[in-house]
Amino acid sequence: MKCESCGKKIATVHLTEIVGKEKKEKHLCEECAHNVTSHFPKAPTPSDILTSIINQVSPEIEEMSKTTCPVCGLSYLEFRTQGRLGCPMDYDVFKKGLLPLIERMHGSSQHVGKVPPNASDEVVRKNELMQLRKELNKAVEKEDYEKAAQIRDKIYGFSGNINNGD
Amino acid sequence: MEIKDLSYNTGEWLRGTGKESDIVISSRIRLARNVTGFPFLSRANLRQRKEVEALLRETIAKSEITKELSYVNLTTATTVDKLLLVERHLISKEHAEGDGERGVAFGKTETISLMINEEDHLRIQVIRAGFELKNTWVVIDEIDNCLSEKLNFAFSSRFGYLTACPTNVGTGMRASVMLHLPALGMTKHIEKVFNAVGKLGLVVRGLYGEGTKVSGDLYQISNQFTLGKTESEILSIIESVIPRITSYERMARKALVLESKEQLEDRIWRSYGMLKTARMITSEEILQLLSQVRMGVNLGLINDIEMKTLNELFILTLPGHLQKLQGCELDSTQRNIIRASFVRKRLDNL
Ligand SMILES: [Zn+2]
Ligand SMILES: [Zn+2]
Repeated sequence: MKCESCGKKIATVHLTEIVGKEKKEKHLCEECAHNVTSHFPKAPTPSDILTSIINQVSPEIEEMSKTTCPVCGLSYLEFRTQGRLGCPMDYDVFKKGLLPLIERMHGSSQHVGKVPPNASDEVVRKNELMQLRKELNKAVEKEDYEKAAQIRDKIYGFSGNINNGD
Repeated sequence: MEIKDLSYNTGEWLRGTGKESDIVISSRIRLARNVTGFPFLSRANLRQRKEVEALLRETIAKSEITKELSYVNLTTATTVDKLLLVERHLISKEHAEGDGERGVAFGKTETISLMINEEDHLRIQVIRAGFELKNTWVVIDEIDNCLSEKLNFAFSSRFGYLTACPTNVGTGMRASVMLHLPALGMTKHIEKVFNAVGKLGLVVRGLYGEGTKVSGDLYQISNQFTLGKTESEILSIIESVIPRITSYERMARKALVLESKEQLEDRIWRSYGMLKTARMITSEEILQLLSQVRMGVNLGLINDIEMKTLNELFILTLPGHLQKLQGCELDSTQRNIIRASFVRKRLDNL
């Protein structure tokens, strides 16, 4: 049998791959088999990462296990097994359980990116404030105190009481 | 436009132009969005799914995102048509294999596509040829703004854009750059690239996204995290790493020319010869052959073939495209025969 990959050499390596419910056999020569295994990036998919993180972060499970979203009916346990949320409210309802997950996944749990152009003024201002706080941290880290002072002034310039975080 | 018209040509992003186009094939950005007032798809019933599909389809049709948008209803599309759309990067594999009411709208040049009811209600995607993340962002940001005028996307100031899977929450943005790295693959230095890139919070994947294997020495580098950094910060991380990888690839090519010129040239010319003369070519083999010839063109060895032609062959010789072109389903032996003759014709017409 010829190698399925290069079509030249004799296939000496026979691999079985399970794709979904299908079993696929691969017949490769030594060289191609080596390439297949060594070039295969071990990059896990986002869902793989989610599952592995879900399994690592578990202390809150006891408390969260009784929680169910009043809007979509998803329970926290269902989320943990399926890895998908049921509605936007879930971010609030399961916040306690989600926070450590999100922290671990993204290294942060505070959005600082784009705000929908039609978002309320309050949301826009909160977001700007978040970005300023981040810049302030950066400036302090770099020991650029002049810049830090400028940013701090800007932060104070935000009138009204905007809550921290959420 | 009909799907069958797609099988003869390819999207504009494969034309082989743009910055660093010898190594960078394309730049792509995808945004995940959900409309408020509906559950995410895993908890949506049939009626809600239909409503979301109709709302998004109609809003997209009315907006002036791009000229001549085509819409394909994936609920009724044939398997071959869906395969063809996946091969062209217009929809994801998950979108093709999903169920329930769903579809895709895409522009004439295929640089813009809007997937409705994929994992999220809406996935906006923009692809450009070459290393063009900044321009790609400008385009997709504009589309997102345009749709935001008519739709309310689920958003919280704490978590940003809310997505069905928390791995996409925040910016909802996945940016990726497709690279052709044959020399790094050949010299096995590619592993070092994987490691370095991983430390920056980026991941490397194969040609067709999540979980697919690398073939034809084509790699996609994309961001893993979507929250805690602004869109432009995420893009600059990718932007800063790509030139390092491309210069590493160029160095590896130089080293190959210096150390084993004859072997390298022999491999490239043999590959070219195979493409021009073989009577049967498997889908895996063709990727390897095209990869070698592409490097041959980059090294200035082969001068009588355009980059666009080569880039296109990567897509046009895939199973979905061959079957669409032939107008019927084909088994793998038939495909191998047709693939070989298709390539011979394309290369003969030069
Ligand atoms: Zn082989
Ligand atoms: Zn819910």
